[in-house]
This record gives sequence, structure tokens and C-alpha cells, in this order.
Amino acid sequence: MQAVDVVKHVQHAGSSLSILQGVNLTLYPGETVAIVGASGSGKSTLLGLLAGLDHPSGGQIALFGKPLGPLDEDARARLRHQFVGFVFQSFQLMPALTALENVMLPLELAGDPEAESQAKAMLERVGLSQRLDHLPKYLSGGEQQRVALARAFVASPKLLFADEPTGNLDAATGAQIISLMFQLNRAQGTTLVLVTHDSALASRCDRAFHLTGGKLVELSRE
Amino acid sequence: MNSVWSRLRFVLRFFRRELVSGELNLLALAIVVAVAAVTSVAFFADRVERGLRQEATRLLAADLVLSSDKPLRERYGADISKAGFDIADTISFPSMVFSRESAQLSAIKVVSTGYPLRGNVEILQNGKVVSGRLTPQEGTVWLDERLLARLNVKVGDVVRIGNAEFRIAAQLIREPDGAVDVYNFVPRVMFHHSDLARTALVQEGSRLRYRLLIAGESRRLERLQKTLETQLQRGDKIERVEDARPEVRVALERAQRFLGLTALLAVALAAVAMALACRRYLARHYAPVATLRCLGATQNEILFLFSGQFIVLTLVAGGVGCVVAWLTQEILLLPFASLLGTQLPPAGWMPWVSGLSTGMLLLLGFAIPPLLQLRQAPTLRVLREDIQPQRAGILAYAAGATALFALMLWQAGDVKVASLVAGGFLAFIAVSAALAWVMLGIARRLTRHGSAMSWHYGIAQATRRPSLTLLQIVALSSGIMALLVLMVVRGDLLDAWQRNLPPDAPNRFVINIQQKQLDPVADAFVNQGLPVPDFAPMIRGRLLAINGKPVRPQEYRDERTQRLAEREFNLSWNDTLPKGNRLVAGTWWEPGASAQFSMERDIAERLGIKLGDELKYEIAGTEYQAPVTSIREVDWDSFRVNFFAIASPALLQDRPASYITSFHLPEDREDAVTALVQAFPNLTIIDVSAILAEVRSMVDKLVLAIQFVFGFSLLAGVLVLWAAIHTTRDERAFDAAVLRTLGASRQQLIKMHRSELIALGVAAGGLAALGASALSIGVATWLLDLPVSFNPMLFPLGIAIGVFATWAAGMPAVRHIAKVSPLAALRQFS
Repeated sequence: MQAVDVVKHVQHAGSSLSILQGVNLTLYPGETVAIVGASGSGKSTLLGLLAGLDHPSGGQIALFGKPLGPLDEDARARLRHQFVGFVFQSFQLMPALTALENVMLPLELAGDPEAESQAKAMLERVGLSQRLDHLPKYLSGGEQQRVALARAFVASPKLLFADEPTGNLDAATGAQIISLMFQLNRAQGTTLVLVTHDSALASRCDRAFHLTGGKLVELSRE
Repeated sequence: MNSVWSRLRFVLRFFRRELVSGELNLLALAIVVAVAAVTSVAFFADRVERGLRQEATRLLAADLVLSSDKPLRERYGADISKAGFDIADTISFPSMVFSRESAQLSAIKVVSTGYPLRGNVEILQNGKVVSGRLTPQEGTVWLDERLLARLNVKVGDVVRIGNAEFRIAAQLIREPDGAVDVYNFVPRVMFHHSDLARTALVQEGSRLRYRLLIAGESRRLERLQKTLETQLQRGDKIERVEDARPEVRVALERAQRFLGLTALLAVALAAVAMALACRRYLARHYAPVATLRCLGATQNEILFLFSGQFIVLTLVAGGVGCVVAWLTQEILLLPFASLLGTQLPPAGWMPWVSGLSTGMLLLLGFAIPPLLQLRQAPTLRVLREDIQPQRAGILAYAAGATALFALMLWQAGDVKVASLVAGGFLAFIAVSAALAWVMLGIARRLTRHGSAMSWHYGIAQATRRPSLTLLQIVALSSGIMALLVLMVVRGDLLDAWQRNLPPDAPNRFVINIQQKQLDPVADAFVNQGLPVPDFAPMIRGRLLAINGKPVRPQEYRDERTQRLAEREFNLSWNDTLPKGNRLVAGTWWEPGASAQFSMERDIAERLGIKLGDELKYEIAGTEYQAPVTSIREVDWDSFRVNFFAIASPALLQDRPASYITSFHLPEDREDAVTALVQAFPNLTIIDVSAILAEVRSMVDKLVLAIQFVFGFSLLAGVLVLWAAIHTTRDERAFDAAVLRTLGASRQQLIKMHRSELIALGVAAGGLAALGASALSIGVATWLLDLPVSFNPMLFPLGIAIGVFATWAAGMPAVRHIAKVSPLAALRQFS
């Protein structure tokens, strides 16, 4: 994944608001990267751009060697379900689908005939084999995030974006989720991009960046 | 004052902005549909009422009319003219009119000099329209345009009526009391009273209606009416302006009530759409209201702002609904054109008022209660987005139900009918919701795993908010069912009924056969190569008493029985039980038995006659008394000649009688009828198939009108669907965003929603087909006694309509959702 001179402006009430001003970032296979910053600094915007959910106003982003610029939304969607996984702060499970169905979703979107057995195996790995047929609203926050993790890892993504994955959880549950995430990450050799404002969490990653004033600054390790 | 004005301006500005932003579209459309449905019926009712009222004074051709099945002038004429009133008389009856090559059943009106006392007769003579107090000269006759055409004759030609020949002197365009007679679709003829004897048509058993027209100064007229009321004999009655054309008035009132209740289905569905639209609207305005309150707006100011806006919306949308109704009202009047004859006057302003009131009432019931909640939005909401509006309380539901019931009461004009309809609605909703629930449960189970992903996602989505989904299915299916019943079931039942008639079922009735003509008429049948039918004697008599207790029509509760008790009966006598009759109680008399009666079951029940009761009849001044010794069931569908009351020969065979028969005329044997009536001009031959065709065409037009009103229901059903989809649009957009981040393509998103919409459409259409089939089978079995008919086409048709409707309502929103940028949607919700 490579981002070069990425710029993002938002038009608002006739004036242009500059959120990102020339961000450069290169990710290497298997590494874990944290992006920290104050709220409103543009972390989520950057994440969206890196994952191809949105277009930059300027600059280039390439995923696995493919520049995103010329691709239309559907082509980017294909790229995503091939290579990219997501974990969100508020879990974002489909409320109408059971835990199992939620985990099956990325596989089904890719047309994988083994979706059900793979999803079951993944839910077992996150310790939810007893909760397969429960709807999200009957699961605790920690359980929901574990389903979200299972959903993110089930398609063996090369690149996983996690947006404040513990933001809606209490400290103890959050810690469990984080260790589960790192564990899965190591097992699958996934590249992990973690957006957080928790510097302790950031320090567990291979590299950490600080987003401030629209620029990304790598934090040096002591 | 100034502050009110400035607030009002603020409301209008706010309204304009909301309108442009599209926030109010759905609410506005729901109001348009509800108001258009109710108002189109209101326009119809108003115009009919005006038409009847305008015609009424001219309808009688007099200020006061005495009418009877016996001559009147002899009994009352002298006294009335001595008192200084103008009088004239008319006699009407059906008879055949002959040209050289054909014969045609017509409504004859015989008029005396001086007719009409009020209003004008209009005729076309020598190419000019002449209008005034006119009567045909002796030896001449006026025919209306239809009869001229059907007999293929023109002014100057000769026609024969009974035994008399007449020269056609003019074409009859209009007479003031032209539409009073029942035979509205029969062509009309008028000649002078002095020619009546020549025709020799006044005979035993002729169905003559005598009218004595009276005109004079109104106060003295009232006194005269009071005097006459004390002198009236049985069978005589006073016709006043207000009860002119009672049968038309009753038919129209029923039609109006029925259409009004039909329109309510659309209103109820539109109200649901309104409630959903309001819910979404208010949910979206919860935060802004909290902000307004933070800025210091009082609860009342907020209420004023939003209710003011809703009122402006209702006035605008209600006005549009009224205009739609005004543009389409003619369709509702179509079936009644032949009944009402003349051009109807345009509608007044009442329907506009009632239309707008309907809109306001709905607003009051469905939009204002949630608004009361909105104004209580806690200011804390500004800081904490997770504070949600309270759920609608009992008050909101009660207000909605009250508003709907008030509308039903208004349309039905009767608490009992309104309660019945409301109960029916509720039962229908409960049953269809339960069925839809079962269907969804099965679908969810079937698609849980292993099926195509778009299907299991779609079905899961549909079951996510069961109450909303059930609402959509029920709303849509009631609209579709209404259409299916009218489009398919009605035709099926009519066809089944006609198929059920034997192919040789009689299609012609012959009345007025005199006793001495029995053998010659039978010979004529033989000469024409037709089988000789049975002739039944027919004697007109009035039921005077049951077990010595006088029969008083007003003592019976329902209108039809009252009329039966008032009217003269056609009595017959017979040795043997007629074909198509079945004894249900008592025994049939032996040949030569004493005087006794056999009664038809239905009329016996209506009049309260039981086996063994003594009946007293009056026939032309003589009283006849005998016990009832049997009760019969009659197959009226057979088109055979049937009688309510049959006597044993001992009672009536010595009385003069006219005879009646029915026979089957093969399709290409019209010539046989012509020969028959040319040989016996006094016979009246009634073409049943022509009457059936007339009735069928009227039913068809009526169905068109009802279908039209039901069309509003379907539209309202689609609105509910649309509203429901819109209500869930935000969550759908959120789901779509998540799916996109997971790599779903636009096409996959559309497919998932399409599956959901198809599932909804199939459920609604299937349910509608089920309902329509049940109704069809129920009506066939219990009401019409026909072999159970089931049309398998109902299912594909219902489902096709259902899928089309869900598609049309849902796809635009879905396309919109599929276009949502995943990031934007995620930000809105995370």
C-alpha cells in the first residue's frame, strides 16, 4: 500500500476546508502500523482514503500495486473484498443477520461456496461457537466486536484497517479484543493499520504515526 | 398581531424550505391520495343530489300526484276539480309496438288533455324542436329516438299498438315525468287518452299504473293533501316531489355509501403512510428541535412552527387531492348516466370543504400527536445524540383510530355499519398479518443458510422489523386483493352463474295472454316449430290479513318487505306442483281439494306467514280466504314462471285471469316472436337476455367506478410501502455502507434489496390472491349456490402486481442507497 502526496479538501458552505495536506505513507507486508491523532484531525478520513472508500482531492494511492485513482467504485469494492478487512469502533454488524451470517458475508460476497464452514471455524477461533445463531442485539459489546474480528479475518485479508476498535468497550474487554486481534494478525501475516488515540496501544505496533495539521509524522521509537 | 404575522411568515419560509428539500413529499402524497379518494366520491354524491333535486319539481309534471294500480279519475277527479285544482291523468304500462317488419317492447304513456300541468314536453316535429304543454292528437303517436331506430320507422309512418294503428306525428325528446317509470331502459311511446280503448290493451292482468296529476295554489294544496290522505284506499299513494324516483334515489344512496366506504380503504392505507412519513420526519427533526429549545424556543413556539407547517401542507396537498378528484369524478358517474338521463349540474363547493376536512382530520389523528412529543425534545439531546424520542404512546394510536372511525361514521352515516366496517377492517388486518407472519417465518427458515446470499440477506432484512414489514404486506395486499376481486373474481362468478344455467333456459317471457287465446297461442307455437310451453294463470290480488290480523306495510322493518306487503301480488292456481318448485313443509293438495294456499318460503318468512295460517286476499273487490297448507322453495335462477303464492284450483279457477309463460327462443328465431305478436298484438314479450345484457353492462360500469376507487387503495398501499422503505432508508444506507466496506459491489447491493422487494411483493400478491380466492369460493358457495370456482390465474396475477408495485415503490430508493458513498454513510452513524 502506498500513498503519495495525498490531499483531501471538503467543500463546505462555499468554502474549502483542507483536511489532509500531502500525506505520504508506505506499508510493508505483515507490519503493524498505528495512526494516532486528536479527534477531528482527519484519522478516519485518511483511513477511508487508504481503503479506497473515498477519493482523494489530490495525490495517488495504490493498493497492492494498483492505483485506485482510475478505478470506479465497483472495481475498488472488488479489490477490497480480495485484500482488505475492516474493524470499526461501533462494530457495524448487520443487525438483521445472525453472528454466523455476519461472518459469512465477506465470503458470500466473493462467492465462496465454503462460506458457512469457514465462518463457523472462524467464530470458534474467537470463542463464539456457542453464539452462532444469535442476532447482534443479543450479544454483548465484547462479543459483537469478536464477531466483527471474525468477519474481518475470515476472508484472510492482506490488509486490515481497524478504526478505534476498543473505543466502545470497557478497558478489560478492550484489552482482550486487542490481544485477539494481534494474535489473529500474527497467525495470518496480515498488514494491520490501527487508528487509535491510545498511545499505549500505538506503542504495541511496529510503527506509529501522528496525524496533525493535515500532515502525517512518524513517531520515533525510544 | 405583528408577532403573529412574523411567526406566520417564519412558518411559511420554513415550509418552503422543507418542501424544496423533499422532506414533506411523502406526507404530501399520502394526503393527496386520501383526499382524492374521498373527494371523488363526494363530488359524485353532490352532483347526483343536485341532479335529483333540480329534476324533482319537473319530475312529477304536477304539484301533487296520486298514483295507483286502479283508475283514479272516477274516484277523485270530480271532487278535486270542483275544489278548483287543475287535473290531468296519465296511464303507463309496458306493451309491444309494431312496425311492418318488427316488434319492440316499449313503455307506453297515455296522457289526457292538459298534460303536463308543470314543466314542458319537448318534441321534434318537421325538423324543429317544439316545447310546451303538448299532447299527441287523436290517432297519432310520439316515439322516442330509440324506438324509431329499433323499429326502423320515421315520422309519418304507421305503427300498431294493441289493436289500434297510429301515425307517428313527432319524435318525443323529453317529457317532465319521463323518468318516473321503472322501465328506464325501455324505449318510450306517448299517445292520447282517447285512443286507449281502441288498443284493447286494458285487460285482465294488465300492469297499468294510473296517475292523477294535480296543480294549484300551494297552501290549498297542502289542505287537499291532508284530506286525500284520509281518503286513500289500499294501493293508492301520494307522490310528492321529495319521493320522486325512490328507486333511483335508494340505488344512488347505496352506491354512494358503498363507494364512500371503498374510498375509506384508500384513506386508511394513506393514513398509515402518513403516520410512517410523520415518524420519519419527526425523527429527523428531533435534533433540530432540541437545538431550537436550547436557543430558547418555548414548547408552544415549536408546536406552532410544526403544526403551522403541517396545516399549510394539508391545505396545499388537500387542494391538489380535490383537483385530482374533480378531474376524475366523471368516471364515477358513468354507470349511472342511463339512470339519471339528463346532464348533471356541476358540483358545488361542499366536496371541496369535505375533502379538505378529511385531510385535516387525518392530520389531527396521525400527525399532531407525534408532534406533541416532538415539542418535548429534551435540550440535552444537543449534547447526547443517543437520546431518542419516546415511542408513540397510547394517545397517538387512539387519536389515529378515532380519526379513522369518525371518517367511517361520516361515510356510512350509521354507527352500526361503521362499526361493522371497522370490525371487518380489523379482522382483515389481523388475519392477513398473521398469514404474512407465517409466510415470512417460512421464508426466513428456507433461506437461512445455503441459499443464494442475496436471498437470505433480503429475507433477513425483511424480518428485521417485523411490524413494519407486516404493515407493508398487509397494506399492499389489501389494495391488490380489491383489484383482483373486481378484475377476476367478478367475471368468474358471472360466468359460473351463466354456465350453470341450462342452455335451454327460458329467455322470453310472454304476459297478457287472455284465457280465450290459450289454444290459438299454443297452436301458434306449434306452427312455429317451437315446443308449447306451460301457461300459468295470473291474478292480481292484495294480501289483506294473516289469521284475521290486517297486514300493515309500515309494521314490517325492512323496506323490501314493506313494499311487498303494499304491492299487489301475482297469484296463480295450479293442480300440480310446478317444475323447479320443492316442498319444504306441508303437503301439496290432491286434485279437487278444497281452497288452500301454497307460499314461497322466502316471502312467507318475510311476511311472517306459517303453515296453517289463514290468508285473506282481495281480488278486484272480492275477498278470498284459505289456509296455507304448504311452503315451497323456488329455483328463481331457472327463469321459469314462478309465483310467491299459488292457490288450489277450487279457490280461484272461476275468476277471469290472464296467463303468463316463458320459453326458450333459439338464437336465430326472432321471426317466431314477430309472427306471434303480429297474430296476438295484446301479448307482451319480454326479452330476458336483453335485460340481462343491460344489467351486465350496468354492472360493468359500476365495477369500473369501484375499480377506480380501489385504484386509490392500491396507490395508497404503494405509498405505505414507499413510506416504510423511506423510514428505514437511513438504516439501509448504513447497511449498504458496511457492505461496501466489506467489498460488496453496487450490483450485489441492488440484488439484495431486489430480493427483499420481490419477497415483499410475492407475499403481498400471494396473500391478496389467497384472500380473493377465499372470497370467490365463499360467495359462490354460500351466496350463489354455485359449484366452487377457483381461478389459478389469481396467484400469478396477484404476485405479478405485487412484485411490480414493490419494485416501482422500492427501486428508486434502493438505487439511491446503492450510490451512497460508504465513507459518508459510516461517518453519519459511527
